[in-house]
Amino acid sequence: MALPLAQEIIFGLVIGSYIALGAIGFTLVYGLVNMINFAHGEFVTIGAYVGFLSIQIAGLPLPVALVVTFFGTAVIGWAIARVTFEPMNDAGAVPLLLMSIGLGLVLRNLIRLVAGAGGRDVQVGVATYRFEDLGFFVTSQQLFIVGVTLLVVLVLHLFLSRTMLGIAMRATAGNEDLALVSGIDTRRVRNVVWLAAAGLAGVAGILLAVAQEASATVGFGQLLLMITAAILGGAGSPYGAVAGSYLLGIGIAVSVAFLPAGVTAFGSTMAFVVLILVLLVRPGGLVNAEVRTT
Amino acid sequence: MKFEDLPVDATRAGAVLLVLAVAFLFSPLFVRPPAATLVLFEVGVLFLLYALVLVGLNLQFGHTGLVNFGPVAFFAVGGYVAAIVTANDPYGAVGLGLPWPVGLAAGVVVAVVLGALIGASTLRLRDDFLAIVTLAVAEIVHGLIVTVRDVTGGSNGLQNVPRPIAATTGGGGAGELFATVLVFGALAVLFYGLFHRLSASPYGRVLRAIRADEQVTETLGKRVFRYKFVVFVYGAAVAGLAGALLVFYNGAAAPGFFTINVTVIVWIGMLIGGAGNDRGVLGGLAIIMGFQLATRFLNEQLPVITPDQFASVRLMLIGLLLMVIIKYRPEGIWGDADELGVES
Repeated sequence: MALPLAQEIIFGLVIGSYIALGAIGFTLVYGLVNMINFAHGEFVTIGAYVGFLSIQIAGLPLPVALVVTFFGTAVIGWAIARVTFEPMNDAGAVPLLLMSIGLGLVLRNLIRLVAGAGGRDVQVGVATYRFEDLGFFVTSQQLFIVGVTLLVVLVLHLFLSRTMLGIAMRATAGNEDLALVSGIDTRRVRNVVWLAAAGLAGVAGILLAVAQEASATVGFGQLLLMITAAILGGAGSPYGAVAGSYLLGIGIAVSVAFLPAGVTAFGSTMAFVVLILVLLVRPGGLVNAEVRTT
Repeated sequence: MKFEDLPVDATRAGAVLLVLAVAFLFSPLFVRPPAATLVLFEVGVLFLLYALVLVGLNLQFGHTGLVNFGPVAFFAVGGYVAAIVTANDPYGAVGLGLPWPVGLAAGVVVAVVLGALIGASTLRLRDDFLAIVTLAVAEIVHGLIVTVRDVTGGSNGLQNVPRPIAATTGGGGAGELFATVLVFGALAVLFYGLFHRLSASPYGRVLRAIRADEQVTETLGKRVFRYKFVVFVYGAAVAGLAGALLVFYNGAAAPGFFTINVTVIVWIGMLIGGAGNDRGVLGGLAIIMGFQLATRFLNEQLPVITPDQFASVRLMLIGLLLMVIIKYRPEGIWGDADELGVES
């Protein structure tokens, strides 16, 4: 049984990578803008289509397309947030959340209307590396997906810990009013957060488009997983979100492989059960964020 | 006269109407509305059931500020439990074949238990966590209905559920529709009256205090958690009741009746009408359901667009409507901006 486990863990790392790229953005927005963004999945979808256009239509090689998608989705997402969320930043959590639900409905159906209900394949050459004596295989695609995610996490870490902007971001997340009186331009910080969140969601989108397909609901399908991972890690903590995502990804892959078929038929339903259990037992997640009312 | 205070007490009116409706059911009389109006009656049945869900949701969100994004979960649980308890030998599903009052009670009880479980676990956390958990629970319930095929019949649904109203009116058709609207209407008025009484009483004042500021309310010696818990369970109960009624009206339960669209319609109706205004939210529900009905006719007039594209356009318009309301009129049409603590 030990050998298939290695294979399942590879699958889990891949699933965790998609979730992580989305969950980081979700949790940054949650921590800094103080809102639950139910339209975050649509940023992933936009990324999937930007990726599809740049690979299939413009014919860019994958690494270039990845960079194009990151910046393209970042700007689109930022512009959308600028028009919708930014003007009502002081309205409070619930109006922002309702706004994001409306925005999600609009974007999802707009994409469906323009791009059609069916999915679009993105063709990329894949090489498979087999380790026969160890009993598992890795594809170049899987290595690429996990590699990109780890690189992103590393860059994010350097950004948050070594640049003034990143430090300003952490300060704003900690206490927005204090950050403001210390001379931090919190508006600029929020702009950066939207750019980063949308850009990372875009990267998740192009990876999903390459590994599966680009469709109008590809991001929405990931949304509750991203939220689960973010809460599992501790809402508002990007490091927690990464850890939560990989735990969730490996958990899904391993349970699908080893639990009896009757249980795994529940599929991602299990993830939501996990979410509720986490909230019951340790609502602050891995990093024990402050979530109680009083 | 203000919109809020009409001279008739809705609770009494609802009770009287219910008695009359039941008397009508067992009388030899029947009314068969003209065929052209049947579509209105069909939408009317759905409107009355959604109104029941909305009455509970408005107490939760409008008065107490609890963000429940999963009213459809309780609606679905009430419906499916009622169906499982009462169905006679459904194809590929479980049916206990018990009489319908047992099913109705079971549906409500299970919805209450689910509400109590969610409430006990989440109502102590920050407001927005309730939104996530209720949304997730709605997804879980929907996922379970589709995956536990042997019990629920999966995507085929669960047939052979008794139809008490159809049974007394001698089969389906126009006569049944009319009688159903009468009975459901009476129930909707009754529950509207009960919940309106609750929210107009000192109890309701505490709820609005909780919405405005939980900590201050707690400091005044009110047990905030208990109030929130009870309100959450009330909402779950009435949604469960509505779900059971739907199943007894249809004679079947199917996943298509209990999609996230129910949540979206009910929420948007509440926000259009003005959360916290008991009568306003029902007006909002009528507006959004009227919009849906109108667009349905419009689609038949415009054959250029496929129904699939049209569905996307309609959902886009609904989403846009939600965004416009939140941004430009967060208190809705009949809501009180000062009381809700919002600015447009």
